[in-house]
Amino acid sequence: MTSQTRQKILDAHQSNTSLLTPAPDPMMHNMHDLGAEEMQFPLDEQIIATSSGAMEAGHTHYVPVPGIPELREAIATHLSADYESGHVLVTAGMQEARFLTIQLIGKDAGGVAIPAVTHPGVLRAVGTRPLAVTRMEVDERKLATSDAIQSALEAGTKLIYLESPSRLTGAAYSADEVSAIADMLKAHDAGVIWDQGFAPWSDAAPSIADMDGMTERTAVIGEAFPGSGLASWYIGYIAAPDAWFPPMQSQKQIMAICTSTASQYAAVEAAKLFSESHTARVNQLGKQRDIVLAAAQEAGLSVLDGSAVNVIAVEMSDAQVQTLTDAGYSVASGADFGSPGVVRLLVSTAAADALKHLA
Amino acid sequence: MVKEHKKTGTEILYAMIAEARQYDDAIIMGRGDPDFDTPEHIVAAAKEAMVQHAGDYVPPEGLLPLREAIAERVKRVNGVDLDPATEIVITNGGQEALFLMVAAILSEGDEMIVPEPNYNTYHDAMKFTGAVKVDVNTYPDTDFRAAPEDVRKVITDKTKAMLLVSPNNPAASVISPEDVQAFIDIAQEHDLMIISDDIYDLFVYDDYTHTSFASLPGGKERTLTLNALSKAYSMTGWRLGWVSGPGELMARVRDLKAAVSGGTSIIAQYAGLAALTGPQEPVDMMAEAYRRRRKIMLDALNEMGMVYGVPQGGQFVFADISFTGMDSSEFAQKMLTEAHVLAYPGAAFSEARKDYIRMTFLQPEEKIREAVERMKAVMKNMAGS
Repeated sequence: MTSQTRQKILDAHQSNTSLLTPAPDPMMHNMHDLGAEEMQFPLDEQIIATSSGAMEAGHTHYVPVPGIPELREAIATHLSADYESGHVLVTAGMQEARFLTIQLIGKDAGGVAIPAVTHPGVLRAVGTRPLAVTRMEVDERKLATSDAIQSALEAGTKLIYLESPSRLTGAAYSADEVSAIADMLKAHDAGVIWDQGFAPWSDAAPSIADMDGMTERTAVIGEAFPGSGLASWYIGYIAAPDAWFPPMQSQKQIMAICTSTASQYAAVEAAKLFSESHTARVNQLGKQRDIVLAAAQEAGLSVLDGSAVNVIAVEMSDAQVQTLTDAGYSVASGADFGSPGVVRLLVSTAAADALKHLA
Repeated sequence: MVKEHKKTGTEILYAMIAEARQYDDAIIMGRGDPDFDTPEHIVAAAKEAMVQHAGDYVPPEGLLPLREAIAERVKRVNGVDLDPATEIVITNGGQEALFLMVAAILSEGDEMIVPEPNYNTYHDAMKFTGAVKVDVNTYPDTDFRAAPEDVRKVITDKTKAMLLVSPNNPAASVISPEDVQAFIDIAQEHDLMIISDDIYDLFVYDDYTHTSFASLPGGKERTLTLNALSKAYSMTGWRLGWVSGPGELMARVRDLKAAVSGGTSIIAQYAGLAALTGPQEPVDMMAEAYRRRRKIMLDALNEMGMVYGVPQGGQFVFADISFTGMDSSEFAQKMLTEAHVLAYPGAAFSEARKDYIRMTFLQPEEKIREAVERMKAVMKNMAGS
């Protein structure tokens, strides 16, 4: 078929480099996938019982767009900031949270400033329709620098997107840094989308929403109860102030009506188990992380600063990446995040084994 | 920083649902949510997947076994050959499928022709892209037939696509095979894309038949089609649908899917696999129930003197209530407040349809009868006052 219309659609697609940004596999799909964001912990039987029980009881119909009330309440309770359940929008995973916040708040804000190094999903979300984007320089931890944030705000940016911890390195802003960023945002009457999805894996990742006067200008986003074995169930959240909420809820309705009920009921149960089981998971991963760090040191790799126990980021040459690939391991390439020469490894026994190939 | 949010038509409808739920005896005949629960074997398969596959990797385009099952279904039901590797993307329900198709094809300033009345989400999805919806009116005296000759009249140099829905929502008309071919001919002639919403393809009545645009000559290469399991298998809460189309365009849909939501719940996908590959008797049972309910509802509407397009398919009827002297918003609100019956006001679909209401037959027969009796009583009071 000769179709100019179709060709124009395809040409527009090929020229949209943001949309074509390759994303790392979002989760482990084989035992040697080191590009995942969290280890696949076993799913608790109670989660299965609650979710399947809800389906058997007939909760198989549409539910409210922002989520079932008990899950919204559980997420609000889990967040340390001053959000109520009415501020919580349950999303079909983390990427939907990125998309809704960036596109909906970003449109009204006239654009968004994002770190030069950020999760590829951020670029993809930006690329779905034209949006003014400013890139902010990052420091050695791959976090946007204070100077870059200040410059963006002085240039008129009204919305910034930050990850803390970084999705690449696991490094987080300190409390003093977060406080300083909050002050800058308030001084410029600007807002922030704060990706805190890795925060549960770190004991040093304060949320900007907890800073005085910041709840009203912050949308926090993340995976719901990470480590519960629900990564493939696609369940995330946005918590946002009243003024930002309606357009995102409306767009959520337009895109999906609601989030899958089986996932929502599972997450309700995961919330109950989270407080008692997550500390043990973090401790377990902390020990495993020490082993992976030792293996990296033995391999002569330079490790980037990071506090999240689920991942480590190391500098690695193309040849070393190839060695791992040849040995059957895949990693998250820093190039996809905007940081060539760095790779992210899932903290796991497999990661320690993989690094032995480089020693 | 954030501008004031103007409520969409859908949000108005959702507010009415919320109000209806305040009444213990409410009969909700507005929303397209079947009253049947998801069949047991599908729930059982989901539970099994929770045990066996909870942590499996999910590619953005969905699990291959599910895409293969969809290809088989589309071949069997719609007569279209699809390559499951490249021509199908799994979505969070038909709604996300529609959004991805619209975002894949349209850009700011583009025009898309849509027979009117139409489901308000089409407009909402187009609004995201900045594209413009161009309506082509249809009327109850022709059972809301979308006439190809009327579509021709509104084509401009900005027209990029036609969105064709059969059976239609809310008008319940079915596009005949001859008209499907005529629309394809128009698309070829003017180099337009076709977006086809086939979500009600299993629900057609009397002697009507559903014809997929991709099944006729010249159709497949310029058509993106959506479908979902929500209506046919009573799986609205699971959120599982798909887009199919030519591989090159589907690559764009896949990238958009990755950008918008990343992937689709693995549990919903295994539930969907069981729906498509398991026993189909529940679908037949539901379709038969809708046939009976449709007759009950049409008999009642006739008794009330309402003018409507005979629903040739779908799960609802779109009826003219102008004889009451009220517009649809007033009428629907009165029925909700006084009869505790929720019907959707046509005004929420478009301003031009403020004389219409949409009523589904997604309630048990006794409830439909009860709803109709309550409505009659309110209308009798109206006539008497």
